[in-house]
Amino acid sequence: MKKQFRNAINTGIIFGIITIFLFLIGFTGISADLLGDIFRNKTAAPVSGLTFQMVNMLIFLGLIGLWAGSIGSHKEKDQTTDSYGSALLGGLISSLVHGLLVGGLALLVGTLDKNGIKINVYLSEVLPAAVKLFILGKTPIQGALFHLVFLTLTGFLGGFLSRSLGRSAWRVRWTDKSNEIIAKVAHMPIFTKIRSNRILLYSVYGLILILVFLLPLRAGQYWNYTIGTVGVYVLLGLGLNIVVGLAGLLDLGYVAFFAIGAYTMALLTAPTPHHLMWNFWIALPIGIGLAAITGLLLGAPVLRMRGDYLAIVTLGFGEIIRILSKSDALTSFTGGPKGVPSIGGPTLFGKPFESPINFVYLIFIAVLLIIFVTNRLQNSRIGRAWEAMREDEIVSRAMGINTLKQKLLAFAIGAAFAGLGGAIFASRNQFTGPEDFSLMVSINVVALVIVGGMGNIPGVIAGALVLKGLPEVLRQLQDYRVLVFGALLVVMMLWRPAGIIPSSRRKMEIEKEPEVQDISVEGREK
Amino acid sequence: MPEAKSPAKRVTTYKVIQSIIGIVFIVYIIWRLFVVFIAKPSYGPDTWARFAIAGLVLGMVYALIAIGYTLVYGILRMINFAHGDIMMIGAFGGYFVFEILKAIPAPTLANPQLNFLDANPFISVVAAFIVGSSIAALSGYFLEKIAYRPLRTAPRLVPLISAIGASIFLENAAQLLFGAQRRDYTNPIILTRGEGWSIPIGSSDVILPYTGVLTFFLSILVMVGLYLLVMRTRLGRSMRAVAENKQVAALMGIDVDSVISRTFIISGASAGAAGVMWGIHLGLVYHFVGFLPGIKAFTAAVLGGIGSVPGAMLGGLFLGLVESLGPAILGISFQLKDVIAFGILVLVLIFRPTGIVGEILTEEKV
Repeated sequence: MKKQFRNAINTGIIFGIITIFLFLIGFTGISADLLGDIFRNKTAAPVSGLTFQMVNMLIFLGLIGLWAGSIGSHKEKDQTTDSYGSALLGGLISSLVHGLLVGGLALLVGTLDKNGIKINVYLSEVLPAAVKLFILGKTPIQGALFHLVFLTLTGFLGGFLSRSLGRSAWRVRWTDKSNEIIAKVAHMPIFTKIRSNRILLYSVYGLILILVFLLPLRAGQYWNYTIGTVGVYVLLGLGLNIVVGLAGLLDLGYVAFFAIGAYTMALLTAPTPHHLMWNFWIALPIGIGLAAITGLLLGAPVLRMRGDYLAIVTLGFGEIIRILSKSDALTSFTGGPKGVPSIGGPTLFGKPFESPINFVYLIFIAVLLIIFVTNRLQNSRIGRAWEAMREDEIVSRAMGINTLKQKLLAFAIGAAFAGLGGAIFASRNQFTGPEDFSLMVSINVVALVIVGGMGNIPGVIAGALVLKGLPEVLRQLQDYRVLVFGALLVVMMLWRPAGIIPSSRRKMEIEKEPEVQDISVEGREK
Repeated sequence: MPEAKSPAKRVTTYKVIQSIIGIVFIVYIIWRLFVVFIAKPSYGPDTWARFAIAGLVLGMVYALIAIGYTLVYGILRMINFAHGDIMMIGAFGGYFVFEILKAIPAPTLANPQLNFLDANPFISVVAAFIVGSSIAALSGYFLEKIAYRPLRTAPRLVPLISAIGASIFLENAAQLLFGAQRRDYTNPIILTRGEGWSIPIGSSDVILPYTGVLTFFLSILVMVGLYLLVMRTRLGRSMRAVAENKQVAALMGIDVDSVISRTFIISGASAGAAGVMWGIHLGLVYHFVGFLPGIKAFTAAVLGGIGSVPGAMLGGLFLGLVESLGPAILGISFQLKDVIAFGILVLVLIFRPTGIVGEILTEEKV
């Protein structure tokens, strides 16, 4: 009983903090707008003093309330049976705490706003309009009471629902079920048939390819641009996938190689600052080669270090490249902070590439090429060496693998892919500058590889689509994108470290791991 | 490292290249020192003194942040990537304390416009440090609890990625909460930035800023306290035991989870104090303020030998000095001072991964 009490109160506090945080970053308002877009009720007339924006916000809050109640009604995390009474009581207590916290917030911001204090000077998203929306256009006390009652009711309902629907250990069930469904779908007769028959398999691939190739023709300028960007990120993801996913080396400065590819293309083909104006097809291999060589040069000293050092050194290297590219010292060489404009595009059979569609196809072809190369590498001796090395370096060394050489190879190949991506990216944008190569690019790529599934080609593509494509569709959520990346990285590590679409070998490794790591006695000389 | 394992020291190509690079580098530094100080002095002694003061103060802040890295690394063998962002949280804590105190009127007869901040600077500064440290310590505690504890037995890359995620999350949460603009730290009027004792050196007066002196001595105080805590107290002893071997420590009756939690609290508190110092001395807070100092402090920790508290202090001081003197000595633009810091990190990892006072690390750790 006491334990359940504490659990329920804790749940209430956690959900209260989450809701307060969501309000403070302005997400409650945005979610109301988003729901308004979905329901198309933005312009509807207000009902009994509530505008539909408020109703939408309440729907959003109500969902959180339901969730809080259902979590709060559990005695323990994965518990399966308990009486209705204790479930309802738990739901009620946690939702009451939740409601008190949120109501208190409403009262506080409402009163402050009423007294003419500009909260948004300090908390930039708490604009007067947001406060007004949050207290539902009433007085602060009324608003606070409304939230208290509303959240308590929804929480109570949540507790009831979760009990009556037989929620028995949601999380366990969910993951089990999702795995089950995935397995079921994968083993459906149609798929097994296709997989066993090579001709069928390739014709399905071919069909998908044709669909993908037809896509840009139907899409407009903007969407082609977006598809191109996502494609470049797929390229980068596939490259980093070799470094992080296969060889197990965390590279946080991946953007550096991207930058080298882009700058090589830019400086060789642009009229300023060097007036070389080379052909795209000559500059491309040079960019790829330079990126690979830089990878080797950076890797040689650093790859002897253990993983986390590598992460920081590569991060530092990425920053060095960016700082150098915009410093005064190299302005005459790289164009400095202003960047390099009018980068030359490729020509094919005497026809220059003009519209984004051409570049989309170029990127598609590059992606296909890289997928092919990665696939062959992964299943070759080298790929197996990488994976062996990732799983246990000492054992792989005992097996006769030259780990340093393999690491260098992985690093250089990854860098070469980034160089390719950078060169195409610069050529498509016809401009490149230091701001294209912020740390965020590296983080994005790392995030998409990890979220998608390390060491797995479909995973990387899925990751790029989800992390780069989805925010383009949900434009309102742009501001929250990076925040969600961060949270996603943590959540993925806690919940599904192998990624959305895990590679089979990687999954085995992560699931088998436990005990071994911690017990190894570390002899420590003092 | 294969060559460390073989009984006889083999001369590998890498070693040869390493030595050549080392010699070239040292010769170049000596030549530059000769040029700037003797052959063609580019600055007078007053300018050097200014650089040195700035470097010492900055170095102390780095050292304070580096200690947090070192403590956590010593225990979990994990780089707490979000440490710089904990510092940012501390800096914001101090900022809001100053803002709130400034809004409280404390009129006196002589000056009816006076506010609490300027009337009681001592209390205000103490309050800022306490609040900043506590908030940072609290976030350190929850950070460990949420993002690291469940992953303690996971392969090494997993908690590191989680830490990176936490870092990105904190930075962007701060950006969304407080906005992207840079905010000026409102110091008490006594601690106005840029004011201080002026000392005549060479041809002109060098200002020894009050904020710098405060930062310098306060961080020494905190560091000595931390050193004593680690070396002399019961908690410190259990921390060292856990760092040595978790299993055995647990068998000896040490509550490993609570020790790790408390380590995070301590490292968070020191980062928070460093954040408030950063704000008071350098005067700007924004969501990204912890990023560069965080990485540089990590460099400092590695430089001093990660896992060692005195090493972190030395490394921090050294890095601060190099950062402020380096561009002048190497004769490059001051825009490139961050490049020097990162360059040092790479060089240290190449030539002496164990750092200045580092222990001899086994294969397992390096």
